[in-house]
Amino acid sequence: MKEMKLFLGPQHPGMHGNASVHMFVEGDIIKRSYLLPGMLHRGFEKQMERKLWVNNIALIPRVCVPEPDINEMAFALATENLLKLEIPERAHWIRMIILELARISTHLMAYGGLGGPTGNYTLMYHAHVDRNLILDIFEKITGARVYHQYIVIGGVRQDLPEGIEQDIKEFIDDLESRLSEYRDLGIDNASIVKRIYHTILLPEEVVWELGVTGIGMRSATNKPYDLRKVTPYARYDQVEFEVPISNYSDARARLDIKIKEIQQSIIIIRQCLDKMPEGEVRVKPGRGQSMRWTVPKGYVYSPIESSRGEFGYYMVSNGGTTPWRVGVRGASYPQGLLGIEKYLPGTRIDDAALWVDTMGICSPEIDR
Amino acid sequence: MNSISNLEYVDKIILSITKDIKKESIGEYQVGYEVNQADVHQLLSSLKLEGWKQLSYLSAIDWPEENKFEVVYVLFNWDKPIYVQIRAKINRDNPSMNSIISIFPGAKYYERETHEFFGIAFPGNPEYKKQLILEQWDDIPPLRKDFDPSAYSAKKFPSREYPDDFSVKDKDNQVLEKNAKRKKRVKKLRTGGKK
Repeated sequence: MKEMKLFLGPQHPGMHGNASVHMFVEGDIIKRSYLLPGMLHRGFEKQMERKLWVNNIALIPRVCVPEPDINEMAFALATENLLKLEIPERAHWIRMIILELARISTHLMAYGGLGGPTGNYTLMYHAHVDRNLILDIFEKITGARVYHQYIVIGGVRQDLPEGIEQDIKEFIDDLESRLSEYRDLGIDNASIVKRIYHTILLPEEVVWELGVTGIGMRSATNKPYDLRKVTPYARYDQVEFEVPISNYSDARARLDIKIKEIQQSIIIIRQCLDKMPEGEVRVKPGRGQSMRWTVPKGYVYSPIESSRGEFGYYMVSNGGTTPWRVGVRGASYPQGLLGIEKYLPGTRIDDAALWVDTMGICSPEIDR
Repeated sequence: MNSISNLEYVDKIILSITKDIKKESIGEYQVGYEVNQADVHQLLSSLKLEGWKQLSYLSAIDWPEENKFEVVYVLFNWDKPIYVQIRAKINRDNPSMNSIISIFPGAKYYERETHEFFGIAFPGNPEYKKQLILEQWDDIPPLRKDFDPSAYSAKKFPSREYPDDFSVKDKDNQVLEKNAKRKKRVKKLRTGGKK
């Protein structure tokens, strides 16, 4: 049969963000494929070298659009590590609440994204309604819906507003009661079972070869490889939660882990609301003029567990008022570029969109 | 899960290969080593054998005063949780660093990106010269310190000069004058003609 070239994205309901998968197909089967990134390249790493440490806070959330808070956290952790700065106890707990709410919202978006490629749009609408409720909570806390700029160097920008604990509790109770509905609509839905069971396999050798982290890794290796457990940051060592795992990684297993992680995030948020102490939420990061403070020389890599895997900032300071080098390690780098080139061939055309969805590929962080 | 003994374990592996290192400890779960360019591949492969199976990050840093590039490799071991940074300085003129894709196949795209943004050659990686993110780039690699983005954009996208003033679309339109007159009249009425 004649080989034909097809594109998935950048304009496609199954594609997340502005990247495109180029596929050479014979009939239904993909023979060769690669990802074409670069449509969202904004030169962030260069821009960050030219801005003050504190000014970068406005830039970093834009590195990953659906999940901005992990950028703020990784950047703040890296800078605090270089500064040897101790932040107030309450700020750690507020950060964890924000990060877990962000994790729920991204998981909902990705789980709802299953609706695009499988034609199950009801699921997508349900998930987006719930994500919208989280954005409402974010708006009350930070004043912004998507780019919060709330986790800053030295703590969080301001304390939680009055009565927000009640709002968060009501929301997570409501969501928890409806998680079984999400299962029925998505992974247990008879109309899409054939699309997600035993498709898009990710064997353990491939995980180690590519360097896939996050849900892909945990679903294939059957081990709780989660940075919140392995190298705990903030106060993740003081809360109790489980890391969902599985020993067979197909699309269904990874989506199942997403739902289980939403459940665990809800448990973490409950504990945070109970254990959170009163007190200050922000300390001044440096001496000198209000914004032109300097950071001591050093190299640091600060990784955190995002909803898609290990996400980190590599930062170098030469003692100046601006960073010398900022490098972003996107969680979707291995599976998005090398994974699509090497392991997408052999699957069917309609699986490409599911690969992009269930592997958690975020094109803005590949491009930066 | 005793991280201090893990740090000693890393030390032992590194020192068994080379003594010519500069070590710095960065936090509880992280350690950095500055090594010679020639030792990098041996260090990476022995660390991989000992369980540092994941390449987390690969990139470079530009140090124009020393006329050097610094190539960075960050490895991670999930069972003995220590991030190991291996850094090696290479020459800034005709920079070249042998590829590590035979040790970590996942480095393929990181090396392509580093070549694109710093101009470092990675012999051994068959595709390192292919363009990845920057389309039809025609200047020096952009993450080098001597690349000035504002000068590039002024050169690439020169500001236009307009022969006519298009800010007022219709020359017969007297709205601005009318408004000024009206304001004057309103002021006059309000003050009753007094100054």
